[in-house]
Amino acid sequence: MTLLHVDRLTKQFGNALAVDALSFELKEHTATALIGPNGAGKTTTLSMLAGLLSATDGSIKFQKSDRRDVRSLIGFLPQAPKFYPWLSALEFTEMAARISGMEARHAKQEAKKTLEFVGMAEAMTKKTATFSGGMKQRLGLAQAIVHKPKLLLLDEPVAALDPVGRRQVMTLLKEIQQQTTILYSTHILNDAEEMTDQLLFLRQGKLVEQGTLDGVREKYAEPKIVIEFDQIEGARLFKESAPWSMTIEGRKAWLDLSDQAVHMNDIFSSLSAKTYNVRKVERQTASLEEIFMKVVLDS
Amino acid sequence: MNGLGVLLLKEWREMVRSFKLLWIPLVFIFFGILEPITNYYLPEIMKTVGNLPEGAEFTWPELQGKDIFVSLSGQYQFIGILMIVLAFMGTIAGERKSGTATLLYVRPLSFTSYFFSKWLVINAVLVASVWLGFSANWYYVHILYDAVEPKQALAFIMTYSLWIVFATTTVLMFSAWLPTGGTAFAGIFLLVFYPFIDTTIGAYWKVSPWKLPTYASDWFDPTLDRSHLWMSGGVTLLLIVLFIVFGIWMSKRNAAKTTV
Repeated sequence: MTLLHVDRLTKQFGNALAVDALSFELKEHTATALIGPNGAGKTTTLSMLAGLLSATDGSIKFQKSDRRDVRSLIGFLPQAPKFYPWLSALEFTEMAARISGMEARHAKQEAKKTLEFVGMAEAMTKKTATFSGGMKQRLGLAQAIVHKPKLLLLDEPVAALDPVGRRQVMTLLKEIQQQTTILYSTHILNDAEEMTDQLLFLRQGKLVEQGTLDGVREKYAEPKIVIEFDQIEGARLFKESAPWSMTIEGRKAWLDLSDQAVHMNDIFSSLSAKTYNVRKVERQTASLEEIFMKVVLDS
Repeated sequence: MNGLGVLLLKEWREMVRSFKLLWIPLVFIFFGILEPITNYYLPEIMKTVGNLPEGAEFTWPELQGKDIFVSLSGQYQFIGILMIVLAFMGTIAGERKSGTATLLYVRPLSFTSYFFSKWLVINAVLVASVWLGFSANWYYVHILYDAVEPKQALAFIMTYSLWIVFATTTVLMFSAWLPTGGTAFAGIFLLVFYPFIDTTIGAYWKVSPWKLPTYASDWFDPTLDRSHLWMSGGVTLLLIVLFIVFGIWMSKRNAAKTTV
């Protein structure tokens, strides 16, 4: 079921068009990655959805909203969340819950549970001024989910974290995804591969591609077979004798499967016909990074 | 007003944990005590350290308790108001610039509650500080000089408190409207320097919030006509309401400028 319907969303700052007629839908309990280079309009889009910026044109419709202020249905985590340094994690999360409309008697309890969930049980009474980047990100996540939002908006949620912090936050997000809908911006494409049902590629404020990870992969896959030989000579001999066009790089032969009819069986038959001393045969498809380069930078 | 209670608690915690709740009253009390003591012992101090030629004599005016009491407002007019501007210029603008406001603005926040929570807590602390300062002053004046009539003193402090509320409202309004630097400039100009201009060239008009500190001293002379004091008080109240409304509107309008 559709949770959010965005139609021709546009934001103009003076003469600069930051977001250009962006349209997409978010289904319930899905994770959507907003992918694009710096300046593509990711943060502006999230800011409009979060209610921080007003749109120049277009509409944002929440399907399940029976309340006037949809902000109580949204959780938002900026790229580098800033907290009042004189508040503790618990005080901040409780305050966030209460401003979002939670009753006072439930807010503290829910704040505690949420902080425990994000792994901050030990630090919940400490002042936020003493927190590391990873702790701030986890607290940011806690304040974004404490009121159980229908939609969670995350702006580069792990960009500023070290690999350990990144892994922890990604694990949390995958758990959170079971209960809510997530829209997050990223240019760390490994993360998008790890947790996404839908990809939205932005370039200069425009949506240049969208689809599921598998769908986009299929479209831009450019499947290849890579054969690695023991000797450079093996690769050269294979190229001379095989009927397919290929590229040789040192001991490796690359067969592009997208523009010719090549079957694995034929390759193995050809390889076994002579003694090439093959070290490895591998089928490769384009990584998301390669798709990103193709879609976002070449379009 | 959505979330006023929780925002009041937040502002109060900031006051306590940033030690403003401690040092602001202390500054006002310090000047409250310093004024009568300095005036009382000044002739002796001058005699001791003045290094005056032999035979030279100063004639000190015969000061009454109420003169010392009123003169404290002169100290507060410069140092006190400057402190208010500098301590609170970033109240809203600073939150926007640092990005701490972002996590509030994305919630179903009432900007009326947001502005009011700051206005109430800041004014509570400042008005209390002014009262403590004048109370300390009143006590020392009572010991060192003659007693100041409590009723007149109360009326004086209440009038001066209205001026303080006007000053904090102005600073908050600017903070909602302008960046921190702009607030500092506008606040210092309007509240610290403009009163001098108003005193110098303001002889042509009688009703002005900037004349309130001067009119406050009229309470010590029962024979004076207080119509200008009442009218200035009314105009000040009206401006406070207008500045609050404008401040709430600007807080909302500038929310998009918060650092994301």
